Parts: sequence; C-alpha cells; structure tokens
Amino acid sequence: MKFSLARQALILAALSLLPGVGQAIYFRDKISWQSPIPPSEMVSVDRAREWGDGVIWIDARPDEEFARDHVPGAVSLNEDRWNELLPQFLAAWLPGKKTIVYCGAQSCDLAREVAERLRKEAQLPDVFVLEGGWEAWVKKNR
Amino acid sequence: MKTNILALALSFILCLTARAELKWEQTSVELHPARGDKQAIGHFKYENAGKTPVHFKSVHASCGCTAAQSQKDQVGPGEKGEITATFNIGDRTGTQIKTVTVETDESANQKTVLTLKAIIPQELEISPTFVFWKQGEKADTKSIAVHAGKDFSVKHIKVTSSSPDFQTKVQETGEGQFKVDVQPNETNRLMASTLTIQAENSPKTFYATARITTAPTAPGAPTIQKAPAAPGGPTAPARPPAPTSQTH
Repeated sequence: MKFSLARQALILAALSLLPGVGQAIYFRDKISWQSPIPPSEMVSVDRAREWGDGVIWIDARPDEEFARDHVPGAVSLNEDRWNELLPQFLAAWLPGKKTIVYCGAQSCDLAREVAERLRKEAQLPDVFVLEGGWEAWVKKNR
Repeated sequence: MKTNILALALSFILCLTARAELKWEQTSVELHPARGDKQAIGHFKYENAGKTPVHFKSVHASCGCTAAQSQKDQVGPGEKGEITATFNIGDRTGTQIKTVTVETDESANQKTVLTLKAIIPQELEISPTFVFWKQGEKADTKSIAVHAGKDFSVKHIKVTSSSPDFQTKVQETGEGQFKVDVQPNETNRLMASTLTIQAENSPKTFYATARITTAPTAPGAPTIQKAPAAPGGPTAPARPPAPTSQTH
C-alpha cells in the first residue's frame, strides 16, 4: 500500500513536470529570465558613471517620455523618428566616446533595438545598453 | 477505504479543463504591411468557451509603439471578441516582433502573451549610414554600399549631398547593388552633410550622414554633450537642400 502511494505520488510529480519542460523547450528562445542582450553589450549605471565624460547618452524612449525627463545631456533617438533624429545624434557623436542607450526599464526592448541599428547600420563601435534602463539610472542618481 | 491519488488528481485536472474559458483563435499573427503603410494592425480573436464570465484585468503592449485595445472588459459565456494591436511603424525596418500581454481573472491561464510579427519591406539597404573623417585626416574616398531589398527591383539610385563640401559618385556594382563613393573637399574644417538616397520611381527617401569630426578627446577632457536641437537646428545637418547630386 505504502509503495503504491509513493509510486502514484512519483507519477504525479513527473506528470506535473511535463508542461514545464515542454514550455521550456518550446519557448527556449523567449525565456523571460534570459536577456537577449549579450553581457558584453550591457553596462551598469555604476560602470557608466566611471566612464564619466567619455559617454554619449541616447534616450530610446518615445518623445513624450524624453520630454518629461532624461539623463542630463542625453540625445533622443527612437525608431519612431529615426531618420530625423539620427543625424542629430551623429552630429554630437565623437570617435573614441562610448555610446550608452537606455529605455524605460530592464524589460523594454527599445534600447536594444536602437543599439543594434547603431552598430549594424551606422557601424558605430562601443555602443552599450544600460542595465535596468531609466529606472535604474533614476534610482542611483536621484 | 482504498484511496487512489492518481484517479483523484486526474479527475481534478479534468474538472479544471472542463471549465477552461477564453479560447484564442490564434495567439500570434504575422503582418506584411505595404510600402508606405504607417500602421500594422493585428486582430486576436477569442471566445469564452467556459460557463462563467471572464474579466480582462489588463491588456499591456511590450512597446510604446504598439497600442492594444480590448473591445470589452467582460466576456460572457459563449461570447466572442477580439483584442486589437496597432503597431506604429514609424521609421522601423525589417522584422519587428511586439507582444501584448493579456491578463484575465480566469483560474487557469491568467496571462496570455499575444505576438504580433510585422515584416516591414525595405526598399533599399544602406551600409554604413554614417561615414566620417577625423579633422586633419587625409580626405580619402569612403564607400557606402546600397542594395535593393528583397522583392524590390532598383535599376538606378540618386544620391544628393546637402553640402557642396562633400562629393558623391554612384557606381552600379551588380543587379540592384550600388557603391556610393563619398569624399570631402577637405578635412580641416568641421562639417557635415546629409546624403539623400532615392531609388528611381520611388517617393521613399533614405539618408546617410557624412561628417568631419574632431579628433578623439583625452579622458577627462571636456565633452560635447548637447540636448538635441530642434529638427533642422544648429547641430543637425541641413536637410533637404540639394546643391550636389549624382545619379546612376
């Protein structure tokens, strides 16, 4: 009897694992805890602070959020008005400087997309995404 | 009394599935907006297949560029409806994947992630979109590769420089492929030009930037960090005047 109960419990435990395993396999590229940005392309607020003046900040959030508040000196560059805003950023860009792109929070994709276009299309070096985005910057600086 | 945990558990699971509620016709849609479209709209249809009403707690898009809307807050048993996701294309290109998270008060599947995939046609692919020379550097020619996007046939392109300080020359390098040579007249002055690139018979305009930059700054040296100027302001290369142009 005891053995039978234990066996049934084991079967149930195994069955309960199945959906989880299936989901993990099916959505292996979309697992939320896995950042789509390689660590080498990300920078923390503290590290960015160490770089000091050697940084150009890019705010990838929509215009209205940038207008509300942004990192001092940041340039607005979002994909809604990419063609219009990109020349303005390139006019401020300097060789040897690092570019840090941020959006609202860790979960937003805008910074990653803007950083990717800067690397791929404009072929700029040293383009990073800020870990935690604007929320993290505010927490450390305000 | 003979207990059968397995039977009990299975019957419990069956009970849960019997009152499964919101059924989605599809949770992902692929859209192919036409050239020039400003928005791509995805419709996610559902039906309440359960016996109790379902309430939407939240409908949240992953990106500010996507607006998601539910027709109603409550869906009665047997009722149908849809969530509409409107993706503003803006200046985005290529394949865009946006998600909408729908939260309901169902006992199971409280969160459903709807995926909207938009494949935005790109007439011309330009690489790089930025060429620069450091001040005082030799004024060598730098090249920009332009090629027609998938499903587009481009025989000629026209390149226009907003500044006469930069010369451009277009060469056809293959079917639908072009090389744009850009050369500054000199590199002693800080200057910039917006290169307007246009395929024949197409209203769509593409841009590249050419610029003479200052030499890299030493660490700790003062930096140029400006808030963006208004479009067409002092930091922006002028657009669209076209003093010089090259067509191929």
